[in-house]
Amino acid sequence: MICCKECLELLHDYLEGTLKPETSDSLEEHFEDCPPCIAFVNTYKSTSHLCKTTLSSTEIPEIVKERLKEFVEKNKSG
Amino acid sequence: MGFSEPKEAKAEEEQLVKDLQAGKTESFERLATLFQKKIYALSFNLTRNAMDSEDVTQEVLLTLFKKIHTFQGKSAFSSWVYRITLNATYMKLRSRKKDQSISIEELLPSFNGSGFQQEKIQDWSENTESLLFDNETRETIQKAVDLLPDKEKVVFLLRDVEGLSTEKVSEILELTIPAVKSRLHRARLFLRKKLTNYFEEYKVRKETK
Repeated sequence: MICCKECLELLHDYLEGTLKPETSDSLEEHFEDCPPCIAFVNTYKSTSHLCKTTLSSTEIPEIVKERLKEFVEKNKSG
Repeated sequence: MGFSEPKEAKAEEEQLVKDLQAGKTESFERLATLFQKKIYALSFNLTRNAMDSEDVTQEVLLTLFKKIHTFQGKSAFSSWVYRITLNATYMKLRSRKKDQSISIEELLPSFNGSGFQQEKIQDWSENTESLLFDNETRETIQKAVDLLPDKEKVVFLLRDVEGLSTEKVSEILELTIPAVKSRLHRARLFLRKKLTNYFEEYKVRKETK
C-alpha cells in the first residue's frame, strides 16, 4: 500500500487530475483509512483558497489611479 | 480583464497591441487601463510597499509604450507584461535588499521510517471563511507569503493568486512544467504549515478566553 509520504508528493497532480487513474485510485484508497491525510488534503486546498482570497483583493488606491491616469496622459502625447 | 482570457478580451488585446505598434497612441490608454491593476497587484504582493508598486506600475506602462515594437508575439502579450513587471519589481527589491525568507525545508511535512505522517494533523479547513474578515488572519497570510523564498513565491502568486495555468507560468518564468509544479507544491506546503500553526494558536487563544 502507498504511504502518506508518497500521497503528499503526488498531491499537486492528484488535485489537478493529471495522475493515471490507477495511481489516483491508490491515493483515494489510502485516504479512506487515513484521517491525517484527509485533514492534510483539506488544509492544503484551503491554503490556496485563503491566500488567493486575501491577496487577490489588492486594489490600486484611488489617488494612485489618478496619478497613473495623468502619467499615461502625459506620456501618450510626449 | 486583461489577463483573464475570454476570447473577446484576447481579441481586443491583440488589436490594441497592433494599433499601438502602428503608432496609434490612443490605444495606450486602453491597454494601461486593462493591465494596470494586475501590474500593481503583483508588484504589491511581492514588495508589500505602495510607493514601490506605484513606481513599478509607471515603469512598466512606460516600457509597454516605448518598447511595444520589440514585442514580437512569440508569447502571449500578457506573459510579456508579467515578465516586465517581475523584472521591474526585482530591481526595486534589489535596491533595498534584505533577505527575510527562511528555509522552506523546515516546514515541509515530516514522516516516520515507513513514510507515515509524524505530526498530529488538525483539520482547520472548515472554520476559516469567517476568519478571512479578521485583520489578524489577513496579516498572518500576507506575512507567511512574504516569507516564502523568491523562487517559490513568484510561482505561487502567478499560479494560485492570479490563477494562471501551469503552462502560462512556465512561459513567463521560462521554467519547465515540472519545475513550476514542484515550486508551487513546496510553496503550498510551506504556507499550509504556517497557517496551521496560526490556526492552532488561534484556537487555543479562543478556548482559554
